[in-house]
Amino acid sequence: MGRKIVRHIIRVVPSLLLFLLLGLPLIVLLLQWLGGAERSVLLSFMNRETLLLVGKSLLMACSAALLATFTGTVCAFILYKLRFAFTGIYKLALLLPLLISPYIFAVAWKDGFFWLFGNNAAIYSEVGVILIHTLVFFPLAMLIMGSALSRIDASYEEAGLMVIPFGKMLVKIVLPLIRPALTISFLLILIFSLSDFSVPAFFGERTFTTEIFTQFSALYNFPLAIGQSVLLLFVCLLLMLAETRYLSDAPFFSVSVKGSGSKKYKMRNWQVFLHGLLWLLLILVLLMPVLMLVIQSLSGKALFFSEAWMLMRSAALQSVKLALWSTLLLTSVGLWMAYIKERLGNRLPNLLLLLTFIVPSTVLGIALIKYYNLPVVNFVYGTTAILLLAYLGKFGFIASRIIGNGIRQIPVSLEEAALVMGIPSWKIFVKINLPLLFPSLFAAFVLSFILSLGELGVTMLVYPPGTEQMPMKIFTISANAPQALTSSMTLISLAVTVFFIGVFFLCGKILFKKFRYA
Amino acid sequence: MKRFLNNIILPVILGLASCSAPSDEVVVYTSVDQVFSEPVLKDFEKETGIRVRAVYDTEETKSTGVMNRLIAEKNNPQCDVFWSGDPVRNGVLLSKGITEPYQSKQTLLIPEHFREKDNHWIGFSARARVLIYNKNLIAADSLPQSIFDFTDPAYKGQFAIANPLFGTTTFHIAALFMKLGDEKAKQWMNNMKANDAVIAASNGDVKKRVMNGELAFGLTDTDDAFEAKKESDNVDYIFLDQQKSSIGTLIMPNAVSLIKNSRNAENGKQLIDYLLSRETEVKLAVSCAQMPLIKGTPVPENVPSLDKIKAMKIDYDKTSNKLEEIQPWLKQWAEK
Repeated sequence: MGRKIVRHIIRVVPSLLLFLLLGLPLIVLLLQWLGGAERSVLLSFMNRETLLLVGKSLLMACSAALLATFTGTVCAFILYKLRFAFTGIYKLALLLPLLISPYIFAVAWKDGFFWLFGNNAAIYSEVGVILIHTLVFFPLAMLIMGSALSRIDASYEEAGLMVIPFGKMLVKIVLPLIRPALTISFLLILIFSLSDFSVPAFFGERTFTTEIFTQFSALYNFPLAIGQSVLLLFVCLLLMLAETRYLSDAPFFSVSVKGSGSKKYKMRNWQVFLHGLLWLLLILVLLMPVLMLVIQSLSGKALFFSEAWMLMRSAALQSVKLALWSTLLLTSVGLWMAYIKERLGNRLPNLLLLLTFIVPSTVLGIALIKYYNLPVVNFVYGTTAILLLAYLGKFGFIASRIIGNGIRQIPVSLEEAALVMGIPSWKIFVKINLPLLFPSLFAAFVLSFILSLGELGVTMLVYPPGTEQMPMKIFTISANAPQALTSSMTLISLAVTVFFIGVFFLCGKILFKKFRYA
Repeated sequence: MKRFLNNIILPVILGLASCSAPSDEVVVYTSVDQVFSEPVLKDFEKETGIRVRAVYDTEETKSTGVMNRLIAEKNNPQCDVFWSGDPVRNGVLLSKGITEPYQSKQTLLIPEHFREKDNHWIGFSARARVLIYNKNLIAADSLPQSIFDFTDPAYKGQFAIANPLFGTTTFHIAALFMKLGDEKAKQWMNNMKANDAVIAASNGDVKKRVMNGELAFGLTDTDDAFEAKKESDNVDYIFLDQQKSSIGTLIMPNAVSLIKNSRNAENGKQLIDYLLSRETEVKLAVSCAQMPLIKGTPVPENVPSLDKIKAMKIDYDKTSNKLEEIQPWLKQWAEK
């Protein structure tokens, strides 16, 4: 009886809490929009021009998602399925573009084009936006596909190779097995690309997201902007729901393989070609933008690194502290949500996190302001607690899915055996589940840290007065500071992030050894 | 337990208590570039002992953060003072009932022309619109002398203006609509577009493209031009429309407003007086070449004096209203 009540509490409380903290602000905003605006305004965004713009934005995002997924899959296959030197270093280096904001990428590539060809007109186009989004987001696809490829049981491939050639085996066996991961990779990148404002705005390309931004920031037309956001949300949700099976069950971001071994192939004759290919990619996605930043930071009349550090020091410290708190929150809530979904069958909290994940940042920010800006909850709105809530809304879904995939890999029989022996549930969770989940928790922790440290969209709207956050500082200083100073600040921010990732990986290595039975 | 009390319960109680207790702080939201506004606010903090809690944003990215915040926070304002780089945003806040009039001895030092009639916003330290050019790409004597020369085929595809939906460019265009009338202004803009004007993302983008040598010249603000000159020897700037019969160049003052029902209104008023002081105008002249509005304020040699520039004569409030009126047309123009 007692166990049932505990299970019930564990099931209901998170749904209720998440609903009150993150779901209700969005509903309140929606109701205010429906109640406040005139009917003509409510429907004014439903016209041919808007629908064409949605179509164009979807087409651009689809192209970027396709290219990024293809590139990521090729990389993942090379790095996770082929046996050759330095794969570990390549894996880490190719993930680094995730730490650079799309906007910085766009600036670096534009300058790079001009530097190389003396003309950068070609990049101010849809092609430029698609190129940058492909380069920025393909590491996500590589992560997801790498995880999926590692999970394929070697026996399937070996059995296939006995009767059909390698190429046919890839098409007939590997491809169907990784199809869910391909779908989730495509969808995630599609949503990231669709909701990015900075790159299309910088290249002067009109997309649906820039349109929403224009309504918010140039025309201050809240009802229309929120209406358009609802349409964007509807499009994203439709895509997500159409693939809900994949989204819920796809093995994305799994970080370990339990109970199966993946087959690796030797490619002796292709070594030079593969290294060449990976280096080319490294040049495009990492060395080129970083080189441009270094050149720009050294091109001023003076060296700005010391001034940049003085400007960034306090913001960097505050940002790292906040990102650590946010990471702890995201990992804990992610674990809770993942557990109740995978083990107790409650999908609602995850659906709510999915909703807040795909809501445009500006809309989420305004919803939080309208809901929390009351004297009685000023201890939330006036402090960094509001940022923690915002990050939970933005990245809770990702943390929850990474951990959820880890949970799904743990055989239920282990818990059942412990239950039969009369061991209490909490002890089973602490002694069996947690150690086995360690790699997934670690991956969720690192990714949450990276995402929290670089978040700008909602931070800009809700960060408490008097505090400083690293992305905000670069964003506001870069407006009128010398290019060399801005580039120096960006390099420092990159160095801070890489430093902490390095520290986490070192700690992870030690802890992985301790929990090696996981 | 003690730690729980210290870390969780006490901050909550203090947070709740702070909602009503008067505090020795002031909250300012500003869209003036942080690199220029932060030192001024820090000096105020040092001189008065009043803690400044600032939220920074930038015109470069359309002041989205602070403007949307101010509008969304209307019923429970967190901000005491809004300091903007131009009066347009203060005008928007005024139209939404978010600002409050404020008048003091200090506000009276500012010429009437640079104040809202009821003092919902008060101007200080101004910037002007200028033409920035790359000396390697165009000779000084070949430059356009008037903004209307931008339609000359000789300059086809060689110049940029920032997106007229945002920032100071939007105000500049609204001022031109006021001066020329809608029909002539629209014709001029269409001709300029037909002359392959490059629409840059922002004034900063115009500056960078001219500095890099991507374009020969562009329209921007004095502070951008001043920074560009500091960064590169290949760049210089001129004021347009300075001839006797010309319309003059647009002057845009900073604008400061007191927020209605703000929590630290008295501290806010002190900050406004500080921003409107001669000392602040001198600081802004030194840091970003802004031109003081208070007569007799000393300025460095490289900072232009308002007395020596032919300014476009406009009514700032009417121009703000015109801006709201022409925004839909500008949006169409920019997206065409």
